[in-house]
Amino acid sequence: MITIVGLNHKTAPIAVRERIALPKDQIARALTQVAARSHVGEAMLISTCNRVELVTAPRAAHGDLVATAEDAADALAQIAPEVERHLYVYIGADAVKHLFRVASSLDSLVLGEPQILGQLKEAFDLARKAKTVGRALHRTVPRALHTAKRVRSQTALGAGQVSVPSVSVDLAKQIFGELAGRTVVLIGSGEMAETSAKLLRNAGARLIVVGRNAARVSVLSRAVEGEGFTWERLAEALVAADVVITSTSAPGFVVDHALLAGLRRRRKGRSLFLIDLAVPRDVEPRVESLDGVFLYNVDDLSKVVSESLASRAREAERAEAIVLEEALGWERWADAEQVTPAVVMLRERFSAVFRAELERSLRGRLKHLGSEERAALELMLDSALNKLLHSPTRRLRSVAAEHRLDADRVEQLVLSLDELFAVDEPGDAAAEDGDGDTVDSATEDAARRATGTESR
Amino acid sequence: MTDIATVAFTLGVVAYSVASTLFFLELARPDAQLGFRRWGPWAMGVAAVLHATHVVGASLITRVCPIASLQFALSLSALIAVVVFLAVRTRFRLHAVGAVVGPLALTFLVGAQFVDASRAESSGPRTLLMFHITANLVGVGLFLLAGAAGAFYLVQERRLKEKKTGGLSNKLPPLDALDRAEHRLLLAGFPLLTFGIVSGAVFAGRLGASGGTELLRAALGYATWLLVAAVLVMRAAAGWRGRRAAWGTLAGVACVVTVMLLYAVRAGGAG
Repeated sequence: MITIVGLNHKTAPIAVRERIALPKDQIARALTQVAARSHVGEAMLISTCNRVELVTAPRAAHGDLVATAEDAADALAQIAPEVERHLYVYIGADAVKHLFRVASSLDSLVLGEPQILGQLKEAFDLARKAKTVGRALHRTVPRALHTAKRVRSQTALGAGQVSVPSVSVDLAKQIFGELAGRTVVLIGSGEMAETSAKLLRNAGARLIVVGRNAARVSVLSRAVEGEGFTWERLAEALVAADVVITSTSAPGFVVDHALLAGLRRRRKGRSLFLIDLAVPRDVEPRVESLDGVFLYNVDDLSKVVSESLASRAREAERAEAIVLEEALGWERWADAEQVTPAVVMLRERFSAVFRAELERSLRGRLKHLGSEERAALELMLDSALNKLLHSPTRRLRSVAAEHRLDADRVEQLVLSLDELFAVDEPGDAAAEDGDGDTVDSATEDAARRATGTESR
Repeated sequence: MTDIATVAFTLGVVAYSVASTLFFLELARPDAQLGFRRWGPWAMGVAAVLHATHVVGASLITRVCPIASLQFALSLSALIAVVVFLAVRTRFRLHAVGAVVGPLALTFLVGAQFVDASRAESSGPRTLLMFHITANLVGVGLFLLAGAAGAFYLVQERRLKEKKTGGLSNKLPPLDALDRAEHRLLLAGFPLLTFGIVSGAVFAGRLGASGGTELLRAALGYATWLLVAAVLVMRAAAGWRGRRAAWGTLAGVACVVTVMLLYAVRAGGAG
């Protein structure tokens, strides 16, 4: 089982979050230090803009989870004491469910945002490199990633865009498909316009910046890695444009119906996507009546954003159901896994007895057997061992999964097995029986039946 | 052989129905599940194979070359549209168009059963007739697909103009991809249509076709040729793309379908 101690955008303001946000190159060292604490055996740090969470697992298989969480909280408080009152703690099954929700972007600031999955993978890789990942994290984190993938493929939680710049890119893709080789013209400046232009450029588009102030155009075109055009070349830019983003402070229309209608022939009827982010508007609304011209202003884009958010909220319910199902499945599996050490010890014990008896017989009355017969004999004993242990193993796992055994019950079960089979004394298996001849005879009888030979 | 043709026909109808449903569900469902994207084209591919098996089997039974009978010709034109769709689906990002191509193929496959399967009468040279019919069939197949792309263009364009950007819009192909596909398909089909018109004129002359239906069919054939030519020329010369090109294409396809219906009516009457 695991624990999670941390803070996020809901519990702490950015001023607090940034106090414990570690640079990537310091995370490995921090993890090693956390994993060296008395109760912590495994550690992983999820550090994003919106959250810092320390995922830990106890040093021992059935170690104290509360003490482990306290160790983790203490480790975070040592980085910045003021974070302590903002921390939340999840333990055991709650921690697993929380991790699944985080991976599925149900706990994100922007519901359904896809970055968290990559960030979680990166955090897991960093922890693995720091060698602070053990059995518990190895079994939980991949399951969280699986849950997140299921949520993404079976719900529309990540569908639609939820910011004006990303909506702009999405719409451009609905019109043009691939954006590589397309031309984006940025008229004016503004944070949203520049972000949209950069996103389009990152998708492979070429950028042209047009403005009245040559110096400003030069600075902006460098900032967005585009080409600068003076205001006189606006028409030329519009002829080349596939997407136009306007964000000027001009009181009137910068792009009007007459201008675009006049350029239609030179543009050879290509589609034109106009994104008007200015208030008052830069583009005359009437241009939309032109064939192949698509105009979206701030209100239109904001409406798309709010529709996406509403749709994601609806999908979140379905995603929560998947997370719950996966978390319950994980719990059942983890419960069954609690008895694994007992099963392994039981198998080792039986195997040791069988091997010892076999070796004794092969050194004694069965020494005449050839390699093929010996191999057949070994195979027969392995098969017998598997059949013998199949039923108890299955029942143990099923009892553990169905009855949600706690650590004490598991220990009791192991002790009972120990009492009955002297499980933790495998070395004595060969020596303990006083009537070795009887065992020998039984083994030899079995060998004869298996190999079809008579003892001489 | 009869059994094979019948079974292939029945299974083909089922497979086209399944494919159409899958493509339609993909458009209609609020969330796009990856499974649907894989299964639709597979079902359509299986349907196309069964469709081809049916045509070959049935033509062997009736001892009529598939392209020499209107029944098989109707069926084959839809099959060609399906095969071209499957071939260019990924390249032109036309995946969603399967929601139209599937039902279209199903309609043609079933509808052809009501048309006489006997050999078309002609007094012209046999080889030229074969080329004439083949060119027309492939041309019709390409135009049907171009028409489907044009229809999707108009739907997507309207939605984007009306700012309906979520749901269906996300699943329809990009506007430019539809426009490009429509143009390429018209370009590919136009030479075939031209050949079909010219060779058709030869046969019309030899048969001395002069009935009202024959004249209407010929007029519609020429109208199709003119419409498609106009769409292609205006696109190159005056930048007629997008909506105008889509309407022009749809008008051309409507003429083609009407011509085929007239053939079917005549064949039905003959049968």
